[in-house]
Amino acid sequence: MQLDFQAREVTVKLVYYGPALSGKTTNLQAIHRLLTPEGKGRLMTLETRDDRTLFFDLLPLTVNTEMGLTVRIKLFTVPGQVIHNSTRRLVLQGADGVAFIADSQVAEVRANQASFKDLRKNLRENGIDPAAMPLVIQYNKRDLPNVRSEEEIMRMASQGKERIYLATATHGAGVADTFMGLIGTTWENMERQHKLTERFGLNEQAVMSDLRRRFGPPVEATKHG
Amino acid sequence: MDESKTADISYGEIANLEDLIDRDSLREVCRSFFDLFGLSIRVFSQRGSLLANVHEERSVCRYVNSLTKGRVACAETVAQAQMLVPEGGTTVTHNCFTGAVYHVVPIIYDERQLGRIVIGPFLPSETNEIPASLLHIDPQVEPARARLALAEMPRVRAQTAGRIATHLRGVLDLILFSGHRARLTSAMHLATVRENYRELSEKNTRLQDAYDKLKELDRLKSNFLATVSHELRTPLTSIIGYSEMLEAGIAGDLSPEQLGFVETIRTKGELLLQLISSLLDLNKLERGQLSISTEYVDPRAVLAEVKDTCLPEAEKKHIKLELSWHQDVPAVQADPVRLRQILINLVSNAVKFTPDSGRVDLSVKTTEMRVAQGDDDDDDAGGFGAALMMAPERAVEFCVKDTGIGIPEAEIAKIFDAFYQVDGSSTREYGGAGLGLSIARSLVEAHHGTIRVASELGQGTSFFVTLPEAQPDQA
Ligand SMILES: Nc1nc2c(ncn2[C@@H]2O[C@H](COP(=O)(O)OP(=O)(O)OP(=O)(O)O)[C@@H](O)[C@H]2O)c(=O)[nH]1
Ligand SMILES: Nc1ncnc2c1ncn2[C@@H]1O[C@H](COP(=O)(O)OP(=O)(O)OP(=O)(O)O)[C@@H](O)[C@H]1O
Ligand SMILES: [Mg+2]
Ligand SMILES: [Mg+2]
Repeated sequence: MQLDFQAREVTVKLVYYGPALSGKTTNLQAIHRLLTPEGKGRLMTLETRDDRTLFFDLLPLTVNTEMGLTVRIKLFTVPGQVIHNSTRRLVLQGADGVAFIADSQVAEVRANQASFKDLRKNLRENGIDPAAMPLVIQYNKRDLPNVRSEEEIMRMASQGKERIYLATATHGAGVADTFMGLIGTTWENMERQHKLTERFGLNEQAVMSDLRRRFGPPVEATKHG
Repeated sequence: MDESKTADISYGEIANLEDLIDRDSLREVCRSFFDLFGLSIRVFSQRGSLLANVHEERSVCRYVNSLTKGRVACAETVAQAQMLVPEGGTTVTHNCFTGAVYHVVPIIYDERQLGRIVIGPFLPSETNEIPASLLHIDPQVEPARARLALAEMPRVRAQTAGRIATHLRGVLDLILFSGHRARLTSAMHLATVRENYRELSEKNTRLQDAYDKLKELDRLKSNFLATVSHELRTPLTSIIGYSEMLEAGIAGDLSPEQLGFVETIRTKGELLLQLISSLLDLNKLERGQLSISTEYVDPRAVLAEVKDTCLPEAEKKHIKLELSWHQDVPAVQADPVRLRQILINLVSNAVKFTPDSGRVDLSVKTTEMRVAQGDDDDDDAGGFGAALMMAPERAVEFCVKDTGIGIPEAEIAKIFDAFYQVDGSSTREYGGAGLGLSIARSLVEAHHGTIRVASELGQGTSFFVTLPEAQPDQA
C-alpha cells in the first residue's frame, strides 16, 4: 500500500496468482468487461506469446470517495508458466492482497499445489510472511467436466481460513465476487495496520459499495466459505 | 533512476508526462493537427516544460508585435495562457485582447492530470466586430490594418473547438498508453534480467563453494595417499630385502619347505610394492607432479624390451607373443621408462585376459594424428582457422592385440577409470587393482598422445597408443 498525503491518494496492489492457464488473465478481462466506464483504466497486457502472459497484465481502477480521498487499485496478474519464476517474484513485490486462481479440473490438482507452494516461497523471498498476506482462493473453470465437486471443495475450504469462490471466468461468473472478496480481506488487513478510518475518515463500506455498484448485476452467485 | 524504475514496476505507475511520451511522435501528431485544422498547438507537462510546439505567427500578432505597447501586451497574454493550469479536468478558455482565444485542455491519464494542451489563438466564429480592446491596446493601432490582419486569423466554432480538443486528447491518450506500456515492458525486461542474474550468481556461489570443498577433499586424499604409500614402502623394502637374503642362504641353509615359504613372502611383498608404486604414480599423475624426461626413443627397441619382459608370463599360459613392425617407423619423443610402463601395462592385461594358448600381437607403425595445441579449445572441429589447426602430424601407433575375453561395449568408456574393473566382484578370477589402464592413459596424455581401444566380446581386444613423431628442434 502506498499513501500519498499530498495528493490524498491511497494505492492498493492486488495480484492474481496461480498455475499456468488457470484463468488469471481471463479474470482481469472479465472485470474490465463487467465494470462501468467510470474510474476504469485500460487493461494493459505486457508481452504475451500465444496468449500466455510473459510479464503481467495490469488493470488500474479508481474510486473517488466523498472525503476527497482517491483510492487507486492496481490489479496485476503474474505469468503462470513455471519458467517465469523471477518475473512472478517481481510482480508480487509490494502486493497488498493475493487472489489465487486455481484450475478446478481434477487433473490440475498437482499444478495448483505446486503454484501455491511457489507463491509461499516467493512471498518469503520477498520478506513477507505468507500467513500474513490477505488471500482468497478461486476455483475457476466450473463449466468443464471432470472438475472437483463443489461439496469436496467446500469440505476442504472448511479446514482453511481463506474465503473460497467458484467461478467460470470466461462467462464472467464469480469474477466480481472474487474481486470484492479480495478487496474486502485486503482492506480489513490495511485497516488493522494503518487505521485508515481513524486517520483519514476513509470508510471501507463506502469504497466497497461504490465498487459493487460499478459491477453490473451478478452473473451468478457463487460465494462460499 | 533505479528506484523509480522499481517503483514503476511495483505499482505500474508513471507520474510524469515526460517519461511516457516520445517527443518526436508527439510533435508529429501536433503537426498533423495543425495541418488539418490550421490551429497552433503547444503541449506542456504539469511542471510547465514545453514538450511540443507547432505554431504559426498570425498576421494580427505580427502587427501587434510591431507596436511598442502591443508587444508588451501580447507577451503578457501569451505568458498567461501558457501558465494557466486547468482545474477539475475541464478545458479553460483564455481571452486575448485581439478577440482571439486560447483553449487550455488538461491531459489526463490514469485519472491523473499530467499536463495540458494549449490550442490557439483562434477567433470564435461568433465574433463579428473588431474588439475595442484591440483598437485601444496601443495609440498607434490603425483600425483598417488591424481589421485586415484579424481577418486572416482562423475562425472556429466553439463546438468544433471542443471536438478538436476531444479528438486530440483521445489520440494523446493512445500515445500515452503505448508509451506507458513500452516503459513498463523495458523496466520489466531489465528487472527480470537483473533478477535472473542475481539468482544465477547465488547458485554459482553455492556451486563454487561445493567445488572448493571437493577440491580440498581431493587434495587431502592425495596427500594422505602420498604419505601412507611412502610409509608403507620403507618397511616393505626391508621385508623384501631380508626375504631375498634368506633365500640366498646368507643366514644359513633353509629346508625346501622353508625356502617355499620365504619365496611366497618375497613375491607377495613385490606385488604389494608394485601396487603401492602404482598408487603413487597415479597420485602424482593426477596432481601433474610426475616428472617426465623425454629423449629420442626408437619405438621398435622399446617394443622388443617389453616383449622380453612379458614373455615369461605369456609362456606360463602358452600364449604366443609376436612382434612386428614397419621399417620406416620414426623416433618418438618420450620418457623410455614411462613408455615401457605404458606398454607393459597393456601387454600384461592382454596376457592376463587371454585364455591359455591364445595369442598376443605387438606391432608398431607410422600413422597421422592431430596434436592438441596447448590450451586452445581443440574440440571445435571445423571452427576458427580449421585449415591450419586441424592439420594432422606424422605419428607412431603401437598396437597390442589379443585373442582374449574382450570388453563389453558399455564398459569401454569406464575401464580407464582408476580402480575400475569390468568384473568388480571379489570372486573375480583375475588379479590386479584396476589401476594399470588409468596410469597408462595419464602417461600417454603426458606425452601428448592418445590411447583408444577396440574390442569384440569373446573375440579379443586391441589397444592403440599413438604418440607424435619427435620434432627435430625439440631434442
Ligand atoms: N472452460 C473454461 N476455460 C477457461 C475459463 N477461464 C479461462 N479459461 C481458458 O483457459 C485458457 C487460459 O486462460 P488465461 O486467462 O490466459 O490463463 P492465465 O492464468 O492468464 O495463463 P498464463 O498467463 O499462462 O499464466 C484460455 O483459453 C481461457 O479461455 C473457464 O472458466 N472455463
Ligand atoms: N586386454 C583386455 N581384455 C579384456 N579386458 C581387459 C583388457 N584390458 C583391460 N581389461 C579390463 O579393464 C579393466 C581395467 O584394466 P586395468 O589394467 O586398469 O586393471 P587391472 O588389470 O584389473 O589391474 P592392474 O592393472 O591394476 O593390475 C580390467 O580389470 C579388465 O576388466
Ligand atoms: Mg495470463
Ligand atoms: Mg592391468
